[in-house]
Amino acid sequence: MIETKLGEFEEVILLLVGILGEGAYAFKIAEEFKNQTGRTVSIGATHSTLDRLETKGFLKSAMGDSTAERGGRRKRIFTITALGKRVLKESRDFKVSLWQQYPALSSNLQIG
Amino acid sequence: MKNEKTIPPKLATILLNAFLRSDLAEEVRGDLEEKFYSDLKNKPSFKAKLNYWYQVINYLRPFAIKKLKGIRIMNNHLFKNYLKISTRNIFKHKMISFINVFSLAVGLAACVAIYLFVSDERSFDAFHSKKENIYRLDEVQKFTGTNEQKVALSMPGMGPALKHDFPEVQTYVRLWLRGKQLITKNDTKHLIDNVMVADSTFFDVFDFPLIQGDVNTCLNRPLTILLTESTALKFFKTTNEALHNTVSWDGRDYEVTGVLKDVPENSHIQFEALLSMVTYTTGENNVNNSWGGNWMTTYLLLESTANIKSMEEKFPAFLCRYMDDPDITTTYKLFLQPMNEVHLASNDIEHDYINYRKFNGSYLTIFYVIAGFILLIAAVNFMNLNTSRASHRWKEIGVRKSVGAKKLQLFGQFIFESVMLAGIALAVALLVDALLISFLNDLIGRKLSILPLFQNGWQLMAVLVGTLTLGILTGIYPSFYMTSFDLSRVLKGGSKGEGKSVLRSTLVIVQFGLAIAMMVSTLIVIQQLSFMKESDIGFDKDQMLLVNMNNEANEKFETIKKELQKQSMIRGVTASGQRLGNNFHQGGFKVKADTGILSITPSNVNVDYDYLSVYGIEVKEGRGFSKDNLTDNGLAFVINESFAQELRLKEIIGTKAGHDWYHNDSLGTIIGVVKDFNFNSLHYKVNTLALVVHPEWGYQELSVKIEKGRTEEGIAAVKKVWDELVPSYPFDYTFLDAHFEEVYRSDKQMSAVVAIMAGLSILISCIGLFGLAAITIEKKTKEIGVRKVLGATEGQITVLLSRNFALLIVIAFVIVSPLTYLALHRWLEGFAYRIDINLLVFVIGGILALVIGLLTISYHTFRSARANPVKALRYE
Repeated sequence: MIETKLGEFEEVILLLVGILGEGAYAFKIAEEFKNQTGRTVSIGATHSTLDRLETKGFLKSAMGDSTAERGGRRKRIFTITALGKRVLKESRDFKVSLWQQYPALSSNLQIG
Repeated sequence: MKNEKTIPPKLATILLNAFLRSDLAEEVRGDLEEKFYSDLKNKPSFKAKLNYWYQVINYLRPFAIKKLKGIRIMNNHLFKNYLKISTRNIFKHKMISFINVFSLAVGLAACVAIYLFVSDERSFDAFHSKKENIYRLDEVQKFTGTNEQKVALSMPGMGPALKHDFPEVQTYVRLWLRGKQLITKNDTKHLIDNVMVADSTFFDVFDFPLIQGDVNTCLNRPLTILLTESTALKFFKTTNEALHNTVSWDGRDYEVTGVLKDVPENSHIQFEALLSMVTYTTGENNVNNSWGGNWMTTYLLLESTANIKSMEEKFPAFLCRYMDDPDITTTYKLFLQPMNEVHLASNDIEHDYINYRKFNGSYLTIFYVIAGFILLIAAVNFMNLNTSRASHRWKEIGVRKSVGAKKLQLFGQFIFESVMLAGIALAVALLVDALLISFLNDLIGRKLSILPLFQNGWQLMAVLVGTLTLGILTGIYPSFYMTSFDLSRVLKGGSKGEGKSVLRSTLVIVQFGLAIAMMVSTLIVIQQLSFMKESDIGFDKDQMLLVNMNNEANEKFETIKKELQKQSMIRGVTASGQRLGNNFHQGGFKVKADTGILSITPSNVNVDYDYLSVYGIEVKEGRGFSKDNLTDNGLAFVINESFAQELRLKEIIGTKAGHDWYHNDSLGTIIGVVKDFNFNSLHYKVNTLALVVHPEWGYQELSVKIEKGRTEEGIAAVKKVWDELVPSYPFDYTFLDAHFEEVYRSDKQMSAVVAIMAGLSILISCIGLFGLAAITIEKKTKEIGVRKVLGATEGQITVLLSRNFALLIVIAFVIVSPLTYLALHRWLEGFAYRIDINLLVFVIGGILALVIGLLTISYHTFRSARANPVKALRYE
């Protein structure tokens, strides 16, 4: 089996960072996670994962601007690195290849 | 209402700052704050706060936590080591650790429960924003021939006149309790409890929130009514529909001008509907001019500068101005009672009908003392066990010292252990409380909850700090003791000269002293309460069904009575104007003696002819009422012994007498004297009493005596007759003994709490003793072995081992008995009818403590006495 180095939660978080673009910081990511999956997650858990992904080199981060509703504090904006993008793509390709080896389902569900 | 901005819980932020890596602080605090304010937009603030806490707790993750560094007394590695050693120690001495944690947990749980109870009582009436300046107008009444009494009633004219005469009085509000009333809306009929009449100034003084209607004008017009939310919903679909609609009461329509939120549990004023006082102040019978009769409760809102004392000094002159009676200042004295004392300090006040869940505030002090005792007993266990266990740790201490541990470091280690145990105990205690609080609520009739403790940062902080302090305090002595060992001796394995454990013995004495005191107190309190329950109060209160009567029921009273008497399970039917268990209303009365007319003010009650026989009240002289004598209707009086003694007449039966509005020439006659019976609670002496039959005044309640064992059947029978004959009023009943339970509720709840606490304190003391015995006897293993080899019997050894403990318990008993006696004596003085303290109870308490104590240690004494001496001598 190919080592994707990504857990399910990590993968979703990584994708969300990509979706949110400039607005990708812990609170917003946790919110978006809830909107997209319907599951709640604490900001702490999200932050912890972001931290881990950064250590693995999939993400990089920099302090962004501040807004009033956060008491004038700056936010840490996360962006996906080239490595991160590659890992995401590998992960998707891996799954797609698995799907394609499963003819009964792939023909019915039109997974591409 | 809420203008101040809601901010994230401070305590949580403090916690966050305490553990969070400082380089993460900015972004994390920003994120959490943003989350909090976004929550606030669509959630109630407490939920947002709770979520903030959740988020903070969720940052307790390895990546986000500060790295501990620096060489303090506890650096990170040392800290880990302490944690490891402590945990090992806890698991190595499972029994001792269990005892430590368990007794401390029980103690803390008891304290938290008591705290919840007390703060619930203290929270009464705290929601009124002007509470500091609200006073209730009370009276001290001293009528001839009646006991002096404080009452919570006043005359209707007093409120307006006080406002007129005293610049300090901003405004007044009078409440006139009408009790349970039948309110109707077309075909919907409901009995509404606690209907009151209130002045239009009601909302100027009190802060009962209004959800419909205008605060300023809702009580301004005659024939208007305010309903509480749940009452309004009984008649209307929505509170909105209720507004400006009408309901009927007593043959008249009232416009609903407002709907109030349901009255909070912690308000001494409880009502379900408020009628406007203006209804009674317009027209000829303006109650504002009514003086002489006391039937309203008056509250005054004073200027904050008002001097209560100087106002009270002016009251006699005030009374003289308005009342045409030279003796007025001897019969009436007015005084002002601050709002915050009404709930907890009205125990000596009678005719106090608007005082929900009235509680004797001095019991709260007792509860605090008890909480302190329990905690002390638990703390003693902790200290005792840790100190005596020290010998097990010499080697550890010795090694630590020789590799360079500073005394302070060792000290820190032991304190750390102690705090850790206290922390575990607190967690267990809170869990126990959370689980058992509903059981306690059932027992004492409260709605306590442990949740507010967690919502209020300060309280939680206080509990945590309290536990921390407890851990430190109880840790200090054992730590000091253990670290003071001399290194060389410790390493040689020798003891630090066992030393006479004076402190340890003293602590055991304190423990058992407290336990004995609480046990004896419980016995006495239970005795007094059962005395009140069992004692012959002079009438029969069992199986007596009381049914609320309206006009129709009064009109058809004779028919109802006849119908009911046909039923086999009904033993008697009668009626009365007032219910037993309170003081009856007093009124003027005159008696024609040889020397002239005597004026006297006894309690009065209007009864049906066979009241005395149905209630089993004994006639001592003369006769009871009889329907056959026409003059028995309104012109015949039966008085009680106290009244007869007060009159000091040679011949009482046949003496002319009457209510004070009877003309001197058309007085009635005293036809009988009954034995004194306690119509009031046993806290009070029997007052002088006159009974009269006056059917046309109307009776308040029907009394139906039902045969024992056929209660259900009886209720059904009465209901059937009632529903047939009185369609205008629902069948609404209670039982007299249930009412008496209510009268003694405060006393009973106190005794329940004291009994539980006494049980706990004995339990904790005994577990402590158990642990202590285990340790001391273990130390004597060798001694016992030698003695056995030399021929001592098992019996002798058991006695030897038990003797010291027994002595401690005896000393505790001797010290504590006189103090307990005094305390109980003072408590009993609060009852007019009380038991004598039987010294036997003390002996029983003492012996019980001794037996329980010896039984507790017997496990160890027998075991070591029977042990094989060979094994014992091999020990060490």
